[in-house]
This record gives sequence, structure tokens and C-alpha cells, in this order.
Amino acid sequence: MSALRAEARTALAIARKDAVAELRGRHATVSTLFFSAVVLLLFGFALGPDSARLAAAAPGLLWLAVVFAGLLAVNRLHLLETDDGALEQLALYPVSRRAIYAGKALGGLAVMLVLGLVVLGAVGILFAVDVASAWLPLLATVVLGAVGIAAVGTFYAGVTVRLRAREVMLPLLMLPVLAPLLLAAVKATAAALAGDPFGELGAWLQLLVAFDVIMIVAGAATYGYLLED
Amino acid sequence: MPQTTIYVSPRSLGAPDQRPPSVATTDLARLFAGSPALAGVSLRVDAARTIALLGSNGAGKTTLLRLLATAIRPSYGRGEVDGLDLDRDVALVRERVAYLSHATGLYDDLTARENLRFAAAMLGTPDAEARVERALADVALVARAGDRVRDFSAGMRKRLALGRILLGRPSLVLLDEPYAALDADGMAIVDQLLAAWREAGVTILIASHATDRLAPYLDGTVVLERGVVAAVSGVGVASLPVGPAGATTRVAEATR
Repeated sequence: MSALRAEARTALAIARKDAVAELRGRHATVSTLFFSAVVLLLFGFALGPDSARLAAAAPGLLWLAVVFAGLLAVNRLHLLETDDGALEQLALYPVSRRAIYAGKALGGLAVMLVLGLVVLGAVGILFAVDVASAWLPLLATVVLGAVGIAAVGTFYAGVTVRLRAREVMLPLLMLPVLAPLLLAAVKATAAALAGDPFGELGAWLQLLVAFDVIMIVAGAATYGYLLED
Repeated sequence: MPQTTIYVSPRSLGAPDQRPPSVATTDLARLFAGSPALAGVSLRVDAARTIALLGSNGAGKTTLLRLLATAIRPSYGRGEVDGLDLDRDVALVRERVAYLSHATGLYDDLTARENLRFAAAMLGTPDAEARVERALADVALVARAGDRVRDFSAGMRKRLALGRILLGRPSLVLLDEPYAALDADGMAIVDQLLAAWREAGVTILIASHATDRLAPYLDGTVVLERGVVAAVSGVGVASLPVGPAGATTRVAEATR
């Protein structure tokens, strides 16, 4: 029990450190918010002014914007660790590797939650979609989607952080793994916005929960190897 | 400058001759891209000794320190810190070793105080707030404690990295060029820390070219040349005989 408490303290210390650095430097949040806004606007231009078409495409556009911006966010958060040997120093602390993964993932989750909620609001405004009437299932979808992206992103950002071509390698590695999450989140969002006429929302949310659990367990079990020589 | 307080673990408190060797390596070797940075080092350093690692650039000093700090793994051979294996007991070795490398491991967007608070949380430092303030005082950074590290000079960063070591309770301190980038005041801080660690029974391994400055603190020296031990002198340190099928042979075969 005390070991678990120590791991929780370590994870919170890492997440707090990332949050302070992020609030100071705004490396991840500002760039990802602008990026997602640009993605949404460009998709909107590409689809044309037909409001029914935009509303139908809204769930897909929402999650594409979140996933693309999430790639930037997790990458930026890991770049903090490239400050003057900080990643090596982090690895040399006598703390659980799981706790380091959890701390980095918590930092990523915070950014992803802010990003998901802002993009959801932006989609509602830009594509004239009524997100307020289905706020609870939409919130659940955004939270579960953010957890999954943070869990996967933290692991793969750890894989690529030491690579020179990390900006290219991160999406190449991460996007195929995120395909089930993208599918489930888009379907859940579409079902929530339509009032769940076929009763499928629960199944898609369950798939998101299963995805999150698998990715968190896998990430926590293997992230430590990425820190070692 | 206030008197430096060194916190030591119980394992550093026993009589030095009753403790296992702080460092014991057998044919320790490390290759980088097939090229040996360390080509088979067999060394014993007794507890509570201060030993300088000498040698020209590329002799293997930093590689040896990084291996002992568990920052990198051996390609061949084995090593122990306080009787704990570098490969198998990594977590336990990390509890005992403090390492000052060329890179400071500090976060640019955090202040000096926040960097030390984070290190204290990672090291599980008891009474962390007081220890952080004391460490800041020990490395003469109290006046700049609230400033972001991004704005620090190289010397100030090194002093802060030294302050981080004071938050732990290491039995072995590894210092890689501790005087580099420091002004006269900074060098005096390193001198004071060396004296305090010695007094506390902490083993110190220092890679440095500042041999004259280090002389008053040293028990012995190890000279490395092209990845192997060329000479050993002083007390509390010995170069051990290498077996016929040791890492040196395997390194030679691997790089042939």
C-alpha cells in the first residue's frame, strides 16, 4: 500500500512539474489549440457551406482534429525532458518506472482534456451542431478518448523522444494504434449527437474503456524500458 | 558560506574497512557503435575514499562514471556498487549513487527552487522544504532561487546540479568535471562539498583535469588510457588482474 502511495506521489510530482513548465512555456496547449482550430476551419472550407453535410461530418472532424493536435501535445510534453539531459536524470531517480509513465500520462491527459473540450465547443459553433443537449455522453466520450490518446501518446513519445526524426516517426507509430479509438470515439459522438436512436452508444463507450485499460496497462508495463540505455 | 550539511545513509556510517568496496568492476567494457569507449576495466575502490579518474579526452572516464551511475549498461563484464550488481540491482544502485554529469538534468522552465523541489520529491527527501532551502544556500543560489533556470549561466546551472546531490543520501558520489564552467566562488563550493562528503564517509569518484586543485582531497588516482587502466596509485584503490578470457579479449574480437 505504501509502495502504491509512493508511486502516486511520484506520478503527481511529475505531472505537477509538467503542468508548471507548460503554464510557463505554453509549449503544448497554445500550439495544439491553434492547430486544431486551423484543422477544423480547413475541413469546413473543404466540405463547403452545406450545413447538413457539415453536421454529418462533425463527429469525424472533431476527432481528427483532437487526434492530430494530440500528436503535437504529447510530443511537446516529452520535449521538456530533452532540456539539458533531463530525461537521463529522470531515469536515474530511484523511483518506479510505472510512476514515471503515470506522471507523464497525467500531464498529457490534462492537455488532452482541455483540447477535447475546446474542440468540442468549436465544432458546435462552427458546424452548427447542438452539443449542449447531449453534453453528458459527449463529455464521457471526450474523457475516454483523451485518456486513450494520452496513454498511447505518452508511450510513443517515449519511443521517439531521442530520435532526430521524431516529428515524422510519432504519427507513423501512433496513428495506426489509435485507429480503434478513433472509430469508437467517432461512432460514440455521432450516436450521442443523434440521441442514440439505435442504442449503440454504450457499446462504443465500452470499447473506449477497454482500449484505455489495455493501453494504460501496456504502457505502464513497458515504458520503463524506453528510459533505459 | 554556511557550513554544508551532508546527509548520509546508515550504510555510509559504518567503519570504512567493514563496508564492502564501494566500487568493484571486473572486465567492465562498453562499446558505442562497435567501438570500445571502455575496453575492460577491473577496479576496486574502497569505501569512504576519494579517487580521481585521470586521462586524456576519450580515455573512458565519463563512460566509466556513466556505467557506475547506471545511465548506460555494460556491453561486457560486470560491476558492483556497495556489493550490488550494476545490471541486476539497478534500482538499489540508484538509491546509493549520485551523479553529476556534463548535462545538468535541469528543467529550463522551472525556477531553481522548483527544480530542487522536484528532485526532492523524486528522491523521497524527508523534510524537503528545509533541505531544499539549505541546498540552495550551500550552493550560493538563494538570491536567484525564484528565477527560471533558462536564464542561468552554465556555472549557475552546475551549482544547482550540485545542490540536487545534497538532497539525496548517496554513499557514492560520481562527479564528471565538477570544476568545469565554474568561477572562483563556484570552485570553492566544490572544494567545500568534497571536504564535507569525505568527512561524512561518502566515496567520491571524480573525473577531472584539475589535478592540482583536487590534490588535498584525494586518496588515490586511476589513470585511464584508451579505455583501459594504465596506472593506479594511492590508497583505497586497486586495479584487479584481468582473466585470460576477459572483456578486453572479447572487445578486441568484437572490433576486429
